[in-house]
Amino acid sequence: MTLFQEAGVDAAPSALARAGRLAGPSTRYVAKRIFAALGTFAFVVVFNFFLFRLLPGDPIALYTKGRDVDPAQMRALRSTLNQPVLQQFVNYLKNPFSQDASSVKYNLPAWEVIGTRVWPTVLLVGTATLLATIIGVWLGVRSAWARGERFDKVSTNTTLVLYSMPEFWFGMILLIVFSAGVFGLPGLFPSGGLSTPGVDTSSPLGWLNVGWHLFLPVTTLTVIYLSEYSLIMRASLIDEMGQDYLQTARAKGLKEKMVRRHHAVPNAMLPTMTLIFLNLGFVVGGAITIEYVFSINGLGSLTVDALRGPDIPLLQSLFLLFSAAVIAANLFADLLYGRLDPRVRT
Amino acid sequence: MRARSRRARVIAACAAGALAMGVTAGLAGAASADSTSPTPSSGSKSVLTIGTTDDIDSANPFTGYSVAAYEIFQMEYPTLTMYSPTDFSPTPRLAESWTESADHLTWTYKIRSGLKWSDGAPLTATDAAYTFNRIINGKYEQTNYDSYTANMVKAEAPDPTTLIITIKKPSPIMEKLYVYILPEHIWKSIDEKAVSSYKNEPAPGQTTVGGGAFLMAERRTGQFIRMVANPNFFGGKPKVDEIDFKIFKNQDAMALALKKGEIDFADSLDANVYKSLAGVPGVTQFPAVYSEFNELAFNTGAALESGKPIGDGSPLLKDKNLRVALGWAIDRKSLVDKVLGGLGSEADTIIPSMYANLHLTPANPVTYNPDKAKQLLDAAGYKVGPDGIRVAADGTKLSFRLYGRSENDISKKSVQFLKGYLAAVGVEAKVDLISSDALAEKIGAGNYDMFEWDWVVEPDPNYQLSTFTCANRSYLDSGSVTANLSDSFYCNPAYDALNEKQSTEPDVAARTAIVKQMQQMLYDDAPYILTFYIDNLEAYRSDRFTDFVPQPAPNGSLLFQYGTWTYESVQPVTNAAGDSTSSSKAGLAIGIAVLVLVAAAGVVFFLRRGRTGARADDEE
Repeated sequence: MTLFQEAGVDAAPSALARAGRLAGPSTRYVAKRIFAALGTFAFVVVFNFFLFRLLPGDPIALYTKGRDVDPAQMRALRSTLNQPVLQQFVNYLKNPFSQDASSVKYNLPAWEVIGTRVWPTVLLVGTATLLATIIGVWLGVRSAWARGERFDKVSTNTTLVLYSMPEFWFGMILLIVFSAGVFGLPGLFPSGGLSTPGVDTSSPLGWLNVGWHLFLPVTTLTVIYLSEYSLIMRASLIDEMGQDYLQTARAKGLKEKMVRRHHAVPNAMLPTMTLIFLNLGFVVGGAITIEYVFSINGLGSLTVDALRGPDIPLLQSLFLLFSAAVIAANLFADLLYGRLDPRVRT
Repeated sequence: MRARSRRARVIAACAAGALAMGVTAGLAGAASADSTSPTPSSGSKSVLTIGTTDDIDSANPFTGYSVAAYEIFQMEYPTLTMYSPTDFSPTPRLAESWTESADHLTWTYKIRSGLKWSDGAPLTATDAAYTFNRIINGKYEQTNYDSYTANMVKAEAPDPTTLIITIKKPSPIMEKLYVYILPEHIWKSIDEKAVSSYKNEPAPGQTTVGGGAFLMAERRTGQFIRMVANPNFFGGKPKVDEIDFKIFKNQDAMALALKKGEIDFADSLDANVYKSLAGVPGVTQFPAVYSEFNELAFNTGAALESGKPIGDGSPLLKDKNLRVALGWAIDRKSLVDKVLGGLGSEADTIIPSMYANLHLTPANPVTYNPDKAKQLLDAAGYKVGPDGIRVAADGTKLSFRLYGRSENDISKKSVQFLKGYLAAVGVEAKVDLISSDALAEKIGAGNYDMFEWDWVVEPDPNYQLSTFTCANRSYLDSGSVTANLSDSFYCNPAYDALNEKQSTEPDVAARTAIVKQMQQMLYDDAPYILTFYIDNLEAYRSDRFTDFVPQPAPNGSLLFQYGTWTYESVQPVTNAAGDSTSSSKAGLAIGIAVLVLVAAAGVVFFLRRGRTGARADDEE
């Protein structure tokens, strides 16, 4: 009886939805999105080149200050950097991802320098984003559904407090409490870095060692990030909660949990989806302050280093990578949105 | 129903993840506690772990130029001579002795016999000749060593213990050639094209081939560098088995690591971090005298090397009498106390007092005396105007821009004090804090009146003295003004002549006399007013390691020296108390147990929820 009712009432919308899911967004919609993404990227490529050339500085003087470098030598070094701007621009446009663009500071291809830093960043920020999404969405759903009850009050207030906390400050507190140890509590976790010198990180014990090092930074980021997901999820679910279709579902005799899980949450997920994908794009950007507090050698701190000097080829490549990641994540979110919500398919 | 069980699995996975983290902490913590314990009683190898905020930029001695990179190079590769730990005089290293020809143009070095590289191959004069010739004849190779080799014609090794270097004109630098001697049998296969991108990092499980006290065993960019003792080192195998450099991005975490014993040495600390280490059991603070000076610099008339004026600096500051008068207005003692927290000393000349042999203590010291400053300003024709600010004869106010560096705490504090001292004698300083990159550009273009900055001075004075020559003022590079070494635009032909003389004077005593004369000249002409010499703040675990060697004696830096003295002599404390380590290990275990319990409780909670949820679904 219950089964029959459910199938009967749901038949019309779910058939539509299924058809939509199979057909997906129109080709025109997809083409438009991809074209827009490419256009944005092209703009970034050009803008990127000129932006960093506005920065003041003299990398050669900075890197050689105080060292007995022959003045003739310095001139020679500088002249390699001071090609005419037009020439540089042409070289750059030929292939923005070229291996020829060398970092001034590291004297290695900029993309190679970046390559060694991607893994720590993704490990740190990626893990934290994933955990924050799962826990945040769960918290948001529960608080919204139990709006005004104690769980909601506690979780909303806590997440608001966490959300307003500067992440470096929270990280520093965790570092002092759990790495230095307070009130006779011993230091449980290391003071920074990704692994203990001499530990083979390709072995299972090495993985544990990396996990041990990443525990505090990942916890910090997760706690800071999750409030964003939970607050948005809570707000959008509360919006959905007054909708008529939920009353219909209840009228069918569905349990509250079923109503929540199969009717309200999927609709309320849309804004959260946008947020998730936007943030996935920012994963490679790193978390500058947390990398700083926990001495993690990621792309965030590389960017800060590159700004000193400035190391223009490196900055340029970093900026290109960050922009490409955000644009790609955005495009993906747009396309997925089109699949999830028929209203945005044109 | 299916959705439910999927969710339960996700939650269970999260909980399991948390549990894994807890166990991780346990295992890894225990493992690392074992591996980093340097106590000899445990019978394990001794590891000195040094915390630093500087990573090396490259491990290739032809490429790297950061302070940290030079530290690694001198650990790996020998030099002919090394600066002595007591007073920076050249002492024998690879070369036992050296002589110069009567015309000062041929130098003969007697190389120690029977030496070996770390891989067992013989280390002879041939390797030294190879290294010098490679640089002399190379282009890329010259980058780091040009100041030593630009004057060289060729290097020869007629036999395994004799190295002969021919030079173009006499030079005092030949006793202090800081060129790292490389093993020919390794480097000959890396040609000029390959060398610029050569990393010189060891393959896993191996070490680099070197002749210094330590060899690189592993490098993780931005994380750590592991150096292991070289058994073939000519000074005898070092007393610690391994030296690890652990790289921190912030000093607070580094100090914390020192407190809990994760590292044994912390270098170049900020004053506030350094002070936080006072009274920590087992930690010794060491405020080392250092070769860094801080100055108030003037735009003495910005011009290109050709003499063509540039920039918008105030012409008033070309007046030497004005600059000298301002010197009397500066309270250096207060600056040391208030800006450095007492961790430094008052400065006078550009060769820091740490280099006792070369430093000039002026016979006519300019001290803090605002009244005298006022008198001198009055006498020079700068009368106090109606608003309290002095005015020049032509009616121009004595109001100047004073730049400080926004990212440097010492700079930010200094400029505020300087502003106050100048105001007290009727001179207005308009303070502007900008990034050092932006400031460097302003200075190069001559667009400034005064600024605050610092220099770290090498043991050989040549470079520092050359920052005041006419030829080192800014120059034109394809039409645009480019900064050179000079940042005061001081230009004095008499000074330039002395500089030329000191750079070719082979006699030590005669050269010292010239160097002192040049310091006096700068002191009297005041393109800079020196404020203070800054201490290098170091701290180490004296409960674990001993026999650090200061350079210079008795209170110079213990690490990051011009030489590897500490690395060769440092050793574990023999009766190291194991109590602190064992108690912290016990604490670690307790903490981990708590953590695992919490994680386990989380798992139970989620699994129970999962089950009740499943039941609820069934009821539907």
